[in-house]
Amino acid sequence: MSDIELTWIGLGVALAVTLIGLVLARLRPPRLRPIPAYVVLPETAADAVESDNRMHLSFGSSAIGETSTVSALASAEVFYRLAERLAVSPQPPLITTSAGLTLPLAQDTLRRAYTYRDRLPAWRSTSAAWFPQGARSLAFAAGASSLAADRDVFSTVLLGRFGIELALMGESALRHDQALVAHSDLPEGQAIAYAQADHALIGEELYVGPAYLNGRAIEVGGVLALDVLRWLVIVGILAAAIDAAL
Amino acid sequence: MVISAGLVTVVGLLSDEGSAPALLMTFTIQMIAVVAAIAVLIGVLNLAAVHLGRFAHAEHGWPYSVVMLFVMVAVIVLSILDRAEIWSGELEGEQISLRAFEAVQVSLESALAALLAFFLVFAAYRLMRRRVTVWSLVFSVTLIVVLVGWIPFEELDVLADVRDWLVRVPVSAGMRGLLIGVGLGTVMVGIRVLLGQDRSYKS
Repeated sequence: MSDIELTWIGLGVALAVTLIGLVLARLRPPRLRPIPAYVVLPETAADAVESDNRMHLSFGSSAIGETSTVSALASAEVFYRLAERLAVSPQPPLITTSAGLTLPLAQDTLRRAYTYRDRLPAWRSTSAAWFPQGARSLAFAAGASSLAADRDVFSTVLLGRFGIELALMGESALRHDQALVAHSDLPEGQAIAYAQADHALIGEELYVGPAYLNGRAIEVGGVLALDVLRWLVIVGILAAAIDAAL
Repeated sequence: MVISAGLVTVVGLLSDEGSAPALLMTFTIQMIAVVAAIAVLIGVLNLAAVHLGRFAHAEHGWPYSVVMLFVMVAVIVLSILDRAEIWSGELEGEQISLRAFEAVQVSLESALAALLAFFLVFAAYRLMRRRVTVWSLVFSVTLIVVLVGWIPFEELDVLADVRDWLVRVPVSAGMRGLLIGVGLGTVMVGIRVLLGQDRSYKS
């Protein structure tokens, strides 16, 4: 079987299990296993609103039009759910990115949230900031951390693509007594997130965020589908290993 | 539009080179590249406008805006001169704009990167203070073994072997697991986009 045929089969299976998951989620919404970061995030947003403080949300180097496009979209969806809550506060959240093409996505994410809350006049495009990108984005990390400290943010949420620069941003957040939730779709960033963050999201947990934050049936169905696909991959790996051993 | 572009790209990627779907996909991607280039141009012009405004109104931090505008103009001029290939002597064939970028950006990033090892060790210490679990213990012990394993003493050869095994077997397996998870998550979000159910581009 060729790679192309395998890819078609994979896409077909993913589509089928997503639709089955959607139907199941509509018939009887499942109880999702708790992910600590998604328990804490709405509470942190509520605390920020009540204490009249800002939250810092960062895409890192997730970039529209590149291999990290899906990470950028998934992060934007989680940020939207948080911004919906934060839009009632006089202190707008700060969103940072090191990818130029993600900046309009960041601005639009905030605009949608303020529109949803009927507070569009309070929306400012300057709440989204871009800092120079690079192989390690350390200039971005320095700039974003400095801006977050200047604006006296209360908590920092780093979701998307981060490399070792996450250590710099995490260190700055912790030094300023900010709660830190972090994730990266790169292994080096993920390791740092695990060590530094109060709550780390691991691997595919970023992509199920919308299901955990007031999720719709399609998003909850996606979680079921992801579990099915995960088990299919595990069975596939075991079968391949047994086949190779025999 | 998003669904159509997504479907065209998927079908094009999975079609033979030179076939109609593949050509349509190439055209779509070229259109996206053009739109992206225009967006970057608008971004640069917006950046210049924002800083010119700050300078003109003498807002807080206006000297930084002057530096930013000066550097922006200088790099653009250097890039134009690079393209015109006007450099001679030792500089002949050199990309001076690239050199200027490396002199500032790379030095700055290298200096910050040098601090990372300290941040990581401190993060491991803080992790142990915050929550002592089996996994945080495994993390800290692994970190110590890997760091000590790099010390070039003959007496520590055993630790170097352990470090190599750690990197080759559990670290490699863990990284693959993470990347497979990220890949599966990417597929699920991709399916949601293709079904028109992703809301990040909707009002």
